[in-house]
Formats: sequence, C-alpha cells, structure tokens
Amino acid sequence: MQQRSRTAVRLLAVAGACACLGTVGMAQSGDPHPDFTGVWTSYSDPGAPGGRGGGPALSLNEAARQKVAAYQALVAPTGDTPGGYCLGTGMPGSMLGSGGYPMEIHQRPEQLIIVYEAHNETRRVYLGDRIVPMADRLPGRNGHSSGRWDGDTLVVETTHLVEQVDQRYAHSNQARIVERYRLEKGAAGQTVLAAEMTMTDPGFLTAPFTTTKKWARVPNGHLLPYECAEEEWVKHLERLEERASAASPSRP
Amino acid sequence: MTQRVRMFGAALLVALCGSTLAAHHSAVQFDFSTSVQVTGVVKKFRAINPHMQLVLHVKDAKGERDIVYEGHSTNNMYRAGYRDAMIKVGDTITVSIAPLKTGADGGYVTAAVTASGERFGQQSRAEQARERERAEGR
Repeated sequence: MQQRSRTAVRLLAVAGACACLGTVGMAQSGDPHPDFTGVWTSYSDPGAPGGRGGGPALSLNEAARQKVAAYQALVAPTGDTPGGYCLGTGMPGSMLGSGGYPMEIHQRPEQLIIVYEAHNETRRVYLGDRIVPMADRLPGRNGHSSGRWDGDTLVVETTHLVEQVDQRYAHSNQARIVERYRLEKGAAGQTVLAAEMTMTDPGFLTAPFTTTKKWARVPNGHLLPYECAEEEWVKHLERLEERASAASPSRP
Repeated sequence: MTQRVRMFGAALLVALCGSTLAAHHSAVQFDFSTSVQVTGVVKKFRAINPHMQLVLHVKDAKGERDIVYEGHSTNNMYRAGYRDAMIKVGDTITVSIAPLKTGADGGYVTAAVTASGERFGQQSRAEQARERERAEGR
C-alpha cells in the first residue's frame, strides 16, 4: 500500500512537472498539432530564391500606385523610414522581412505569440474560444490574427490592418492576409518552418499577392533585447548636457 | 558560429537594402563597396540598438582628431561574435568601416579587432580577398 502511494505521488509529481513545462516547453500535453515553439531565423533552400520572403511585385491599382508614389516622393530626400522612428514594419512586412532579425514563437493550444526581434514587434494569434469577435477588434499595423488547424498546417488569418504605404508590401485597410504554416525538412535535414502567404486587398490590389517565407530553427536560440529608442534617448541626453554646460561653463 | 555569421549576413543584406536596420536614417551615405581599416584609441563606445556608437581618437596623415562612427546594431554584432566589455574606453582597436561617400571623416563600422586581438563583425568581400591572398602567400 505504501509502495502504491509512493508510486502515485511520483506519477502526480511527473504529471505536474509536465503540465508546467507544457506552458513554456517544446511539447503541449494532449495537443496533437506540430509545435512551432522556438527561435527561428530566415532560411532559403540552396539555390532557391524567396526564402527571405520577397515575392513578385504587388499588382497595385492606379489609386494605390499614386498613394505609394506620393509617399516615396515625400521621404526620398531624407531616406526616412518607419524603422527610423522605431516603428515596427507591420504585416506582412514584419512576417516576411523583420529586418533579417530572428523571431520567437511561443505556442499554446489557444494562442501563439510571435515576437520579431526587430523593434520587439509582437503578433498574437488566437485560436478556438480565444478568437476575438470581429466587432471587438481594433485595427493596427499588424492587424488582428486568428488561427485554426488544417491537419498539420496552422492557418492564420489577419484582418483589421491599417492602410500602409510605408512598407514594401503596401496595402489598404481592406487587406486580408492568410498564412499557412507547416514544418518541413531543410536541405541539410534541419527543421524548417514554411509559411505560404496570400494577401488579398480590394482596396489596393488587382490580384492576390502570394509568396513563401521559410525559417530554420535556431537550436537553443535566444532573442536579444532591442530598445530602438535608446540611441535617440542617449543622444538627447548628450545634447541636454551640452546645452547645460554652455549655459553654465563652471559645470563639470 | 556559422549560424551567427549566417544570421548576421541576412541582417547586413537588409541593412544595405535600407530596411528596418537603417533605423534613424538611411544608410545611403555610406559606401558599402569599400572597406577601410582605421586604428585609434576608444574615447566613447556604446553597444546599443539600432546602431553601435563609437568615437575613436585617430592619428593619421590628416592629423590627430576624434572621429565619430556608428555601426551595426548590437544584436547583429553579438551574432557576429561581439560580447559584453570587449571594447573599453582607452583601448586601441582597429575597425573596418564603410566610409562616407563624401570622403569626410566617419563611417559605418562593420567589424572590429579589439585590444586583445579578438575579432567580431562581418568581413567585406575585399577583406576576404585580401585574407585569401595573404594565406596563399601572394
């Protein structure tokens, strides 16, 4: 009897540990779907273009072309970019490019959190009961994403985007993006996450924009902090110090 | 290390294309087709994002002066070998820079050799060619 109790306690301890690990670890107890948890960096098959995203040119309608051209003419003299003001790229640029920096995915059955290191840009993909009703969503540069499983493929739909002419993949607020994520093997047998992405946009596009982006898993990878505003803040303090010194020359 | 270099290479590519890595300004003022080595004494160094900040005290044919440089983000440099406290004020270091197209002082630091001889960053194609030539005794 004592032996049985000890065994039961051990089993409970193991189950508890597994449950705890399940929230942050590589496996989700009872979740039959592939686990995308981990750090990923851009990948392209040897000799194959498109691993970093890219894709064909956007089929912009005339009104969209004019808006994009006006924006580009505006920033051309200074070379200004949203990133220059510590603003994230927004979808689909965040997913397709992200400045070449890695991304980290935390996966739970009801929600995935995707963090792109550049600008700490974050996307939340809700599944099942966590999906936010359409009427309760606010628009943003990364929109609002919901997911569902189609076999071993995670299908993510993103809506509620704001109009953006300040990224490579210009779109209106009517854009809808569907990503299909699945695991595959790379040329060297490594684990690769592949996403087929299609953006439709009756406001800006005359034809859907489709491309594929791939990432290789970084074993035991870590994302680094990215405090983009620090550089400007430090420079601002230096300017304040210079002004203070000029006003009061005896200041050390 | 290969992984670090690969990730850094991807980020460098994006930098040259003027994407988010060019935060705070465009990188068009730098000549990335050229790599110049500059040796000097560190007067100021900050490992921050989106660009490392460096002031070197340099003596060369033009005279003695402080030159302000910036470089890749600390995150990209980390993945290309940089670690905390590798560069300190007072150290004599050599940096590889993409010079300003105007020819003025300054540039974009792409790699460095620290006071203790540690190297981090990305070699340019010109540097790789020079290294190959040295290795082959040419």
